[in-house]
Amino acid sequence: MNEMAAAEVLHPLGEQLSPRSSKPQNLVGWLFGGTGLALFALMALVGLVMRLIQAETIDITSVWFYRLMTLHAAGMLAGALLSMMGGLWFVVRAVVPELNFGRVIASWASIIAGVVLVLVAVLIGGFAAGWTFLYPLPFDSSGQWSTWAAVTFIIGMGLVGVGFLIYCIDVLRATTQTYGGLTGALAIKWLRGKDPTGPPPQVIAATAVSLQGIICSAVGMTIVMALLDHTVDGDVMLDALWAKNLTYFFGHTIANLIIYLAAGMIYVLVPLYAGRQWKLSKPLAIGWLFTICFVMTAYSHHLYMDFVQPGAPQMISLVASSAAALPVAVVTIYTGMMLIWGSRFRWTLTSILLYLGFAGWAIGGAGAVLDSLIPINFKFHNTLWVPAHFHNYLMMGVGLWMMAMVSYLLERAAGRTASRRTTIWAPALMVAGGYGFIFCWYVSGALGIPRRWAVHPIGTEGYSLVASIFVVIFLAGFTMLLIEFASLARTALARRRTATAEVPLQTEAPAHPEPAPGAPEPMLRSPFGIGVTVGLAVIASFVLLPPISDASIATIGFHHLAHGVQFFLAAMLAVALASTPSIARRMTPRWTNFGLAIVVLIPAAMLLFMVPAIYSEIDNDNFLHASYHFGVLLLGFITGLGASMLGRVAGWAVLVSSIGMALMFAAGVTGG
Amino acid sequence: MEVTFGGFQIAVLAAFLFVALSLVAIFAVVARQARRNVEFAEVTDTGYRLRRYWFAFLCVLLGSGVVLSLFFLPYPDNAKSGATVNVSGGLFYWSMSPDTFKAGSDVTFDVTSSDVNHGLGVYDPDGVLVGSVQAMPGYQNQLDLTLDEPGTYMLACLEYCGYKHHEMMREFEVTP
Repeated sequence: MNEMAAAEVLHPLGEQLSPRSSKPQNLVGWLFGGTGLALFALMALVGLVMRLIQAETIDITSVWFYRLMTLHAAGMLAGALLSMMGGLWFVVRAVVPELNFGRVIASWASIIAGVVLVLVAVLIGGFAAGWTFLYPLPFDSSGQWSTWAAVTFIIGMGLVGVGFLIYCIDVLRATTQTYGGLTGALAIKWLRGKDPTGPPPQVIAATAVSLQGIICSAVGMTIVMALLDHTVDGDVMLDALWAKNLTYFFGHTIANLIIYLAAGMIYVLVPLYAGRQWKLSKPLAIGWLFTICFVMTAYSHHLYMDFVQPGAPQMISLVASSAAALPVAVVTIYTGMMLIWGSRFRWTLTSILLYLGFAGWAIGGAGAVLDSLIPINFKFHNTLWVPAHFHNYLMMGVGLWMMAMVSYLLERAAGRTASRRTTIWAPALMVAGGYGFIFCWYVSGALGIPRRWAVHPIGTEGYSLVASIFVVIFLAGFTMLLIEFASLARTALARRRTATAEVPLQTEAPAHPEPAPGAPEPMLRSPFGIGVTVGLAVIASFVLLPPISDASIATIGFHHLAHGVQFFLAAMLAVALASTPSIARRMTPRWTNFGLAIVVLIPAAMLLFMVPAIYSEIDNDNFLHASYHFGVLLLGFITGLGASMLGRVAGWAVLVSSIGMALMFAAGVTGG
Repeated sequence: MEVTFGGFQIAVLAAFLFVALSLVAIFAVVARQARRNVEFAEVTDTGYRLRRYWFAFLCVLLGSGVVLSLFFLPYPDNAKSGATVNVSGGLFYWSMSPDTFKAGSDVTFDVTSSDVNHGLGVYDPDGVLVGSVQAMPGYQNQLDLTLDEPGTYMLACLEYCGYKHHEMMREFEVTP
């Protein structure tokens, strides 16, 4: 962007804080932001139809209501996820050129393929088990959908998870490689005084989110594969409580991480309009470390009303759900307000949307914290209070940030701000409509109206009607915004045609002061580490001894645990082997794509391989039985090698998650 | 089914509105101050000092919520000796036995499901949601309630279970 244009759209001091952009960044910004916003628009219309059905204004069967409900949630999740993945990638790529363009596009393609399968499952197959596909509902449809629709939906959601996993692995690989490992990229080294500069805040956010995203995706993949195993072999039974834990860990965490993806983007965009840099600080670095702990342990508040859930996760969740608000309120939002205060803030369409997003996050967060207190949850669980609070921070927080991201790209490309009329009226209509709509839900929740009901209790249809009117107001503002976006796009295209020669596009972002190493670091850096890993593999190899192997067939769970240990031992051997200097130096970056494909596909294949219908048939044939176990070992070994191609941090993260997948599977698959 | 506000629910809604409006006021003040020209060092001097109080205030507020919650947990108390009611959810019905109780009696709902996940929501004769518990296949969740008010209570499903989820209701009686 030239300086004249910058002066028009940003704070006078904003240009020097502007992320240097490259062609890949722009492409990712447009692609992720555009598809995310398109999904948001489509799903918002679906949401309006749902509210009109509840208001008894339009006559559509409850069968279709629940299909639309399933589609709306899955589509919105994918749209918001895509947008914020793109937003974070855009700002982080400016300081981490190691981020790979091909892999982020693969991630996008996987999520879009997942969305297409979800659309097919719902609109053609009639699938309507909710986006959380809580076992065993997908397979007990009361005649409303077939197994193929359930499988299509589950694979679709699995692909969304795979897309996020690919993204997270590459982000973690790149940030840790550029900023001196996990402790460097999370600013722990800086906190300990061992790194004089430390990473910029957006890198900390990207590292923290990607680490959590890998764990979350592994859990999601486990439940998806267990459900597919149930489809392949109807005798495979899942423990309902186990399935619920995994489903909500995946669902809650991925939805929550969307906000934290957005936080990384905010660290870069808000300073452009305030003219003040969002700097690394101790509260910020410490806040992110606590955020990792709290986000990873808060999911159990979805299971408060499952009284058989052990007390420990309930209590941990009670504390974590409230404590998670501290880094948000004390660090991110508070710092944002300090940057804005007295800054001669440049109010444009983009910056207004960014600012309003903070408010949505804070107010929705208050509703969430209240609902996370067990005595309150007892009387609000699964009432309309729940969609009220998450729409509050997703629609009025993340939703506005999704628009802000596209608006930023457009204003920047067009070299002008949006028209004054749209800058005032579009956000005003969306705020009035959005909060009016959500407020109806808060009141309905206090009334005890259940969520996810196609037909509301007698006498409460009025709330849905009023909410529908507010949704229309929101959509009027949103439409105004889209029209302005079209106008900005026309200006940008005209400007590009005339100014290409004058404004050469920067081809690459500047690197971190320390040049990124070419080859990934081996997962084990010392002979001692290699020795310990081989030792662990030797201990685990006891599982192959006949007495232990024979005893493991006592239950399906033990048998699967034995498979998991076999996978572990082979993976450890592979890691030790790949860390030896002669092999480690051959693990050049050209193997990264191969390694990534391995760690995504092989652990999932292993779980599909654990269908009792496959191995019980060969139990009596010693050769086939031995071949099966050799196969499990081989899958573990390949996974270990694949992880080694991703470098130390990303490699260990995916390897530990893969082993965790095998162990989780053993704990919950009870039949067969 | 008819629903109405309970006192507890109104208190929670009021607390939320108070917090939400306070936040709106804070955001409005910051937005108003945004156009001024203040040295950042000046902002941070005051800002960092205030942040300590803000942090302490939130720790006390959130910590109080957590600690108070521990005194009002709805989880079953094994020492209670009320009547046990066997409740089972199925697509799309509730079966329960017995289904008539004396007002003021302590009742333990022993809840399970014969097929998919359901959620048992208990509404009193005024239509106030007095509590809920999940009904899961393969598990027994026990919910203790004291049924004070005589009249017709309603059980409704609070966990999405299929195309007639909103029709999954059942009444039971509490006599004076």
